[in-house]
Amino acid sequence: MKKLLIFMLLLQTAVLLSGCYDRKELEEQAYVISIGVDMTESEDVFRFTFEIANPEVGSAVSSPSTQEPVQEVVSVLGTDFLSATSAANVSVAKEISLDQVRVVIVSEKLARSKKFIHLMQTAPSIIDLKLNSQLVISKEKAEEFIRTNKPKLESRPHKYFQYMLDRAKETGVIPEAPLVRFFQITEGDADLFLAPFATTKKDPKEEYGAEDNYKAGEVNIKGGNSTQFIGSAVFKEGQMIDILTGEETRFSLMLDTTLPQQDIIANYTDPLRPGFDLAARVQADKVKVKIDYKPTGKTNIDVYVSMHMNIFAVPSTQNYMINSKNRNILHASLQKQLQEEGEKFIKKTQEKYKLEPFYWSLHIRSKFLTIKDYEKADWANKIYPNANVRLHVKVRSLEFGKLLRESDLRKVRD
Amino acid sequence: MFPWQKKKKTEAVAKQKNTKISRSLKENVAYLEEQYLYGTNFDFNSKELRGSTGRYHLFYYSTIIDTKQLNEHIVTPLLETKRDIPVPRIVTLSSLSSVKNMDEVEKGLSAGCVIIFKEGMSEAFEAKIDDFKHRAVEKPENEKTVKGPKESFTESLPVNISIFRKQIPSKDLIVENISIDSRPTMPVSLVYARDLVNEEILENIKKRIKKITASNIRNIEILEQFLEERPASLFPTMLYTERPDNAGNYIMEGYVAIIMENSSSCLIAPITIWSFFHSPEDRYLRWAFGNFSRLVRAIAYFITLFVSATYVAITNYHSQLIPIDLLLAIASSRERVPLPIVFEILLMEVAFELIREAGIRIPSPLGPTIGIVGALILGQAAVEANIVSPIVVIIVALSGLSSFAAANYSINHTLRISRFLFIFAASMYGLLSLLGAILLWVAYVVSINSFGVSYFSPATPSNRSPRDTFFRMILKKEKWRPGFLNPKDWDKQ
Repeated sequence: MKKLLIFMLLLQTAVLLSGCYDRKELEEQAYVISIGVDMTESEDVFRFTFEIANPEVGSAVSSPSTQEPVQEVVSVLGTDFLSATSAANVSVAKEISLDQVRVVIVSEKLARSKKFIHLMQTAPSIIDLKLNSQLVISKEKAEEFIRTNKPKLESRPHKYFQYMLDRAKETGVIPEAPLVRFFQITEGDADLFLAPFATTKKDPKEEYGAEDNYKAGEVNIKGGNSTQFIGSAVFKEGQMIDILTGEETRFSLMLDTTLPQQDIIANYTDPLRPGFDLAARVQADKVKVKIDYKPTGKTNIDVYVSMHMNIFAVPSTQNYMINSKNRNILHASLQKQLQEEGEKFIKKTQEKYKLEPFYWSLHIRSKFLTIKDYEKADWANKIYPNANVRLHVKVRSLEFGKLLRESDLRKVRD
Repeated sequence: MFPWQKKKKTEAVAKQKNTKISRSLKENVAYLEEQYLYGTNFDFNSKELRGSTGRYHLFYYSTIIDTKQLNEHIVTPLLETKRDIPVPRIVTLSSLSSVKNMDEVEKGLSAGCVIIFKEGMSEAFEAKIDDFKHRAVEKPENEKTVKGPKESFTESLPVNISIFRKQIPSKDLIVENISIDSRPTMPVSLVYARDLVNEEILENIKKRIKKITASNIRNIEILEQFLEERPASLFPTMLYTERPDNAGNYIMEGYVAIIMENSSSCLIAPITIWSFFHSPEDRYLRWAFGNFSRLVRAIAYFITLFVSATYVAITNYHSQLIPIDLLLAIASSRERVPLPIVFEILLMEVAFELIREAGIRIPSPLGPTIGIVGALILGQAAVEANIVSPIVVIIVALSGLSSFAAANYSINHTLRISRFLFIFAASMYGLLSLLGAILLWVAYVVSINSFGVSYFSPATPSNRSPRDTFFRMILKKEKWRPGFLNPKDWDKQ
């Protein structure tokens, strides 16, 4: 009995003492906000860049203002995330923690190479790195992107990424791309994966491309931070193949049933005075996708999009609000514009990519009894590129902003 | 007492056991004066009266009887009577009764009676004109309510019973006296409604009271610990309340109230854990208001039990759960703090317990000092000296403040001590061990019984009840009395 008691006591001590093995005080860790990954000349080695937040800056109101910088950027060579983390600890005093990584930035060059998928395979093996951190593709080197990105108003880097990604997602010009979605889509091997595209290098387009017909870097912005998040990188089978503009990204988000629908502000052509544009907020309801699968012939895919539009500005001063005839014209025209642009984009995916970025393969899976049947039918190579996709856009409601009627220019200019 | 030690009783005690009252007044007087150490015993009076019809002798304690009544109703009539008629016809007190032996005499004297001996009679008379001093009925100090009666029990059994009778004016309200075999023998009163109470539970309580053999049980606070099944447990199994209205409510549900002389509170038995979280005000307030205050209290209990432990667990083991802004804020404020988080929390919790303990013991003229010392030194100065981080002060203040929201003082201790257990548990494996500790804790609570009633009923085992467990119903819709008590009449309406 006594022996048993002593044994149990010892057992308990073992439990007590071993309990502390992964305990780590908060202030003894360095929190990485973003990781950048670049190619190097050698085959399996990448350059990892860690952006580490300085907790002392901007966190406490009353704390004495410190002279330390906001962030520390460390860049090391490594074969995977884990080895790079420990390599970076050579110069960083605290234990580097990947718990709070918000974005993983990969350079376009690396994303387009075959090595990218090998790199990504090492990500889930680290327990620290959360799979809901966002994947971002940068036009230049990721290290350069991190070093150049100097937000003017958000001194703390995590705040910048948080606001930037949230806001851009609301406007729909970049997709939501957590790491876990990359793995889902890549392993599903039936759809295209979209990741936000960003750059700090300005390369402004000469012509004005409405508010969203740009890729990152092309927007002509003066002042402010030089970073731009717009457009998306298209991944096919774990390798980047193309870049979509902001507008195309917006359409692909609208047609995707798995992503939350946000309201988007966009410009449309004024039907009565084609030289002018209309500004409208578009709120799309959840898309309905109906697939009529035909094993031999062309598969029909019916996509139903219904939207609510809120017209904010009518620069042409056409009377759409009171005149119901004009209103009907506007309604029909908006519907047609959306329909045409959507169809154009769908056609592009069918012809150029031979695959869709809308995650529609989810809707055809239910048509097959076994996974084998589904794989045999081959959505990616056989069904989708030949399918007959019919887009049905319906504008359910038209609302006008605060103005009850436009100013009558003839009266103003008399 | 060890078994090999022989019980020694004083000679006086042995002698008194079966002494009959003698016909000779002289013998009786000599006996009682010897027994009561007359002359040394300051307030013991032995008074001889020589009336025109015979010799009388009075014995009484001058400090516990009403002298005015003694003079008017006993001394004067005895001296003035002209004819030799029996004492009960001379003394005009309703409480007069005859006693046959010295044992009864002794009981009567301690209870505030005047004992009247008459020459040549082998019986005596006791007249109860007691006047024990006690506090007046005052406002409840520890169980305050805004809405509701403001009377509280006081340290006098007759007064307390009188308040009960006022609350429940019914012939079914029984006040049953049981004596504890202690030294001196003390009566315990059980108050219950005869038409409701479960006999089994009542018998259980009586049996336990009769079993007590310890000496020196003079109030229910001590009695409580002798009656409890698990005296070392963290959980009280009897409700201690100073509010007669609360006790009355319980009696009308079929519970039993236990009162004693010298206690300004009563005990309610059996009890479930929910009763400790209910305040009588919950029922006095309107449905929505009462339930709102219950919700606030429920939140307070969870905060006081778990907030410190969760903080320790999350910051030490699960930092990825903290939003990054908060994480950086905690990290930056902790950069200059030398202690690990567990010790930081424990330090502040102990400091808070010190303030609380000192606050109870401190003489009231010094009271305000506690506030200044507590707030300034432990709050601000500790942070400025980099001994603790500000967020820990917030967390400890929150958990400390919440523990005061407890509706009952007994459960307050339970919550406070359990909190430390959870902090220790959380420091071992984080949330994993914290959840393990909570599981064990709850398993233990569920296993407790109070006089045969499950501590968690009617939640588990589920039973018919007024459904006044987490939230209360609209009073009109309360159909049943608590079924776990198995009262004689279940139907409330």
